[in-house]
Amino acid sequence: MINLAKIKKWFGSRKLKRERTYEEEKREFEMAMGKPFINIRIEIPDGFEELRALFLSLEKDERFLEEVKNLVKKRLTYERQGLKPPS
Amino acid sequence: MDATILIFILIYLLTILVSATELAPLSVAALGGALLTAWFGIQYNVFTYEEALGFVDMRLLALLIGTMVVVEIAKRSGLFRVLALYAVKFSGGNPAKLFFSVCIASAFVSMFLSDPMAMLLMAAATVTIAKVLKYDPTPYFLSATIMINLGGTSTLIGSVSNMIIGMEANISFTEFLNYLFVCEIMLWALTIFVLYIIFKPKLGEKKTLPEYKPLESITNKTLFYKSAFILFLLVFLFLTLENSGVGPEGVAIGCAILALILSKLDPAEIFRELDWETVFFIAGFMFIVGGLEKTQILTDISTWLFQMAGPSPFNSTLMTLWFSGIASTVVSNTAIALTFAPIIGAHVFSGLNSSAVWSALILGTNLGGATTPFSGSVCAMAIGALRREGISVKFGDFAKVGLITTIIQLSFSSLYLIARFGLIGV
Repeated sequence: MINLAKIKKWFGSRKLKRERTYEEEKREFEMAMGKPFINIRIEIPDGFEELRALFLSLEKDERFLEEVKNLVKKRLTYERQGLKPPS
Repeated sequence: MDATILIFILIYLLTILVSATELAPLSVAALGGALLTAWFGIQYNVFTYEEALGFVDMRLLALLIGTMVVVEIAKRSGLFRVLALYAVKFSGGNPAKLFFSVCIASAFVSMFLSDPMAMLLMAAATVTIAKVLKYDPTPYFLSATIMINLGGTSTLIGSVSNMIIGMEANISFTEFLNYLFVCEIMLWALTIFVLYIIFKPKLGEKKTLPEYKPLESITNKTLFYKSAFILFLLVFLFLTLENSGVGPEGVAIGCAILALILSKLDPAEIFRELDWETVFFIAGFMFIVGGLEKTQILTDISTWLFQMAGPSPFNSTLMTLWFSGIASTVVSNTAIALTFAPIIGAHVFSGLNSSAVWSALILGTNLGGATTPFSGSVCAMAIGALRREGISVKFGDFAKVGLITTIIQLSFSSLYLIARFGLIGV
């Protein structure tokens, strides 16, 4: 029997590929013309597995994001002044 | 009418219908049609298995795949992105300048990239700059779509339909430029002018463009310069090797091999990114048209059409231009080129008249491709990309602009063909 769901998924994947290419191109242009940005992948530290939900919520935690931004600022300031950043 | 001819016509129409309505992907529709053609053709002795093997023009596929490999490597190097970035930088935040830059860059990149790929690139550039400068991206977007469709008309390798017609008519790269280059330049200028008049009130106000260096977006400079060199070499060899007996397909495949060697990229990854959908659609559709040719129906249509036009090259040229132009507003221009090329090929013209009719077919099949959101994949993609950015464009709004530009382009092309080939008083 023909599996319509599979066929539909296959057709959909063609559209998804174009959408992915479009997003990749847009990212390249944003990096060149707009404000450059970085995406960092951080895994949950070993021994904190029971705080999984809290860890995942950090991605949208405004205060946490502000702290990361400040960390980047601090690092770039050190680099600009030619100082060695504290480890 | 013979039952076999009727079956072949039905297969052809069914393929067109399925691909136009996107009930199945283009390639599947054409390959399915090819399978039915093969089955009925051999069953009813319309053609033999050996004859069927010759239905697919391998030279055309070689030209297509060779060009795709060279362009894919150039795209990966960031060559086209840098062009788009320079075009935006040149505007200096002036909306009119930005509009002209986007239009010219769109047409230029589409001379090399496939229309959907050019659309993805220019859509990403337009959306980003519109966000940075807080402009409405719609006028830039729609103009880029129309210019991408037009840009593809400009060279032998600019669009798949050009390659099909060029191969069928044995038109070389330089002959192509000789017949159509002036027309193309004038069409670019005319279309940009018309689009500017239409969109002028919606372009936005002058803003300060952020400082950036386009070349800084290139991560692999060596690959960038190598790609630019190979692309230049491809065009140079197209122009210079035609008298040495090397066909454009030989040049394209040669440059593709050179590009693969010099780029040092993973060939498997390059091959994966090629537009196989188009390659298989063309192969399948060529097979269907090959079957139709064997029934003599295309020769009969050709005789009937050119008898209707009479002995005047004026009538046959303009009829080809407008008929193919109108047909390509609803049917894929690749399918139109594959159908019309053997019809025109079956008719014997004398001297310059054949060049006029072939040029008319090139212009017609291309120019109708951006008339409505359903005229070509590039239009559907533009609408889809705008929707992703939260902007909806109504069918009527797109069609209004598309219809105006298509009619102007076809009218101008008629005048050009009359003047270029001296069609009055012949």
